[in-house]
Amino acid sequence: MAREVFAGPNFSGRSAALLARLRGLGRPAFFVGPYAEAALSGLSTSVADELALYRAPQSTRPAFAALATEPLLRRVPQSLSGGEQVLLALRCFSQAASTAIGVDTALEQLDGDNRAAALAYLSGGGFDAMLIDNRAEPEGWTVTACAESPAFAIDWDALAATVRIPPAQAIAIEALDFAYRHGKTIFANAGAVLTPGAAYRLFGANGAGKTTLLKLLAGALRPSRGRLLLDGATCLPWRDGNRAFALATQNPDHQWCGATLREDIARRRRALGGAAAAALDDGHVEALARALGIASPDQHLYELPLAARKRLSWLWPLAGAMPWIVFDEPTVGQDRATRGRLAGLLARLCAAGAGVLFVTHDDAFAAALPHRVLRIENRTISLL
Amino acid sequence: MTPNGAAAFALVAVLAAILGDAVGLAAAGLIVAAFAAIETGARSWAALRRAVLVMLPLAAFMLVIWAGIVGRSPSEIAAGVPGSRTAALAYVAGVAARLFVVVLLVQVVTLRFAEGTPFGLIRRLYLPLGAKRVVVVTLSLIETLRQSIDRAHTALIAGGIVTRTLSLRNAANGWLLIQTVWLTAITTVTARLRDKWPVESTLALLDPALDGAERRLAVRDMVWIGLALAALVIAAAR
Repeated sequence: MAREVFAGPNFSGRSAALLARLRGLGRPAFFVGPYAEAALSGLSTSVADELALYRAPQSTRPAFAALATEPLLRRVPQSLSGGEQVLLALRCFSQAASTAIGVDTALEQLDGDNRAAALAYLSGGGFDAMLIDNRAEPEGWTVTACAESPAFAIDWDALAATVRIPPAQAIAIEALDFAYRHGKTIFANAGAVLTPGAAYRLFGANGAGKTTLLKLLAGALRPSRGRLLLDGATCLPWRDGNRAFALATQNPDHQWCGATLREDIARRRRALGGAAAAALDDGHVEALARALGIASPDQHLYELPLAARKRLSWLWPLAGAMPWIVFDEPTVGQDRATRGRLAGLLARLCAAGAGVLFVTHDDAFAAALPHRVLRIENRTISLL
Repeated sequence: MTPNGAAAFALVAVLAAILGDAVGLAAAGLIVAAFAAIETGARSWAALRRAVLVMLPLAAFMLVIWAGIVGRSPSEIAAGVPGSRTAALAYVAGVAARLFVVVLLVQVVTLRFAEGTPFGLIRRLYLPLGAKRVVVVTLSLIETLRQSIDRAHTALIAGGIVTRTLSLRNAANGWLLIQTVWLTAITTVTARLRDKWPVESTLALLDPALDGAERRLAVRDMVWIGLALAALVIAAAR
C-alpha cells in the first residue's frame, strides 16, 4: 500500500497534485481537506448520521478511536471544534469502503496526542495514504517534491514597517462561567490576567474551549456569569460591541464581512468610526495587503487560494484598528518559512508593547514566539 | 408508530386543517392536540412554543395589512362590497389558526421520532431513493444555512460591526448579515462540490445509507390515520 507525502512550500501545487493523485486511482477515495467544508460530507445533520453514511459492512479495518464519538452522536458535525471535525473524518474513513485517503493539512489542527495518533494510523497498513503537512514528513513515506512558485510572496520587511498597533489594555477575566445550550460546560469560575507587551498561547486539547474563549472576548458569545475588565474598567463586548480584540479566525472564510478586501475593510471602518477607522485608511490597508502578497484589494476573496486567504486574514489584526492581536491557529496550511517569519514579526510587536493572544497546536511556531501559556483544562484557565 | 404512518397521518390532518371551516379546523386541532399529548408527550411544549414564535410575527403582519391597511376581507373585495375591519380580522384569525395547526402538527410529528437520527427516520420512510436523497440534501442545505448564519454573525460581531444583543448598530448594519451569510454558504457548498464530493462520490454513499424502508403500517398508525380521516370528512362535509 502506497504512502506518499507531497512536500513543498505554499503555492507549489501540492493540493492540486494530491487531488489529481486521488482522482487518478480510479476508485472512490476519501478526502480530508483543511476545514470542515472539505473534511466532512456536509450531508448529515448529526455525528451519528455522518458515521452511518460512511460505514461499510464489509470494512474490516479497526476503527480510528482517537475521538470518543459516543457523547457526540447527537451533535451537528459542523458545530464540533476544528480538531474534532478532523478526528471525526478519520473515524469515518476507518470504517468506510474506500481504500485510499488524502489529507490536506488537516492534521495541523490537532493537538499533540491526537496528531501522533492520526499519523500513526495513516502510517499503518490496509490502505493508500497521501498527505500534505507543513510540520511533518513521516518516515518511510515516498516524498513527492513540488516546485516553488513566486506567487503571493510576503514582503516581511515591508510588513514590519507598515504594521502599527495601538497600546493594548490589561485584560482581567473574573469568575467566568459558560456552557453551550444543550452542550457541555466549557468554563466554570475561570479567570486570568493578561498584560500587554506579551504573547499568550491558549493551550488545551481539541474541544477544550480555546476558540470559545476568543469568541467570549470578542463578544460573539455571552458568558452566563463573570466579568471582563480592560484596564480595570468593566467591558461588555456582547452588548457594547467589540473594540479591543482583532480576531483572525481559524478558517479565514469565517472572518470576511465582504466579498473583497476593500469592501470588507470599508464596512468595518464605517461601523467602528474614530481612531479605529483612521487605522483602516485605504493607503494603509493597501500597503498591508501588498506586503502580504495580495496585489489588489479589489480581488475577489474567494478567487484567491486558501493559503493566500489565510495570510490575508492576518491583515485585520495587524491593521491596528483594535489593540489586541488575536490569532486562532494562524499557521494552519502555512509553510515552514512563513510560520517562522510570522513568529518573528509577532515577537517584535510584543517587544514594542502590543498584546498578542493566539491559539496554536504548532509547537515550533510557539517556540519561536516568546510567550506565556494559558492552559484551558477542566473548565478553568491556568496561567503557566 | 411507524414513520410512514406518521407521515400519512400528518398529510391527512393538514388537509383537514386547510379545507374545513371553523368546525373542521377545530376537529383537526383536537386531533393534533391528542397526538401531541399521547405520542409526543412533554416535548410537545417545545413544539408549541416554537409554533407560537413562528406564527405570532406572521399573524401580526397579516393583521397590519388586512385589518389595518386594506380594511376588508378578500371575499368582500371579490364580491365588490364595502366590507369591514371585523371581517378582515376574522379572515386573519382563520388563516393564522390554520397555519398554527399545520406548524404545530409538523413539529409534534417530527419530535415523535426525536430519539432517532434524521437518516434513520428517512431510511424507514416508504419513498423512492431519489425522493429520500432530495430530503437529505434539503436538510443538508438548511443546516448549511444555519451554520452560515452562526459564522457570519460571529464574523460581524468580532469585526465590531454588530453586537450580540440588541443595539442601534445592529439596526444600521444588520443587513450586512444577509449578504455575509450567503457568501459563507456559497463558499461552503463550493468547497464540498469542488474537492470532497468528486473524490469520494459522496452522494452515491447515500443510497446504501437510506435503503431499507418499512412497508407495513402498525395498528397505532391505523388509529391515528382513521381519526385524521374523520376530521377530513367533517371538514369536507361542511
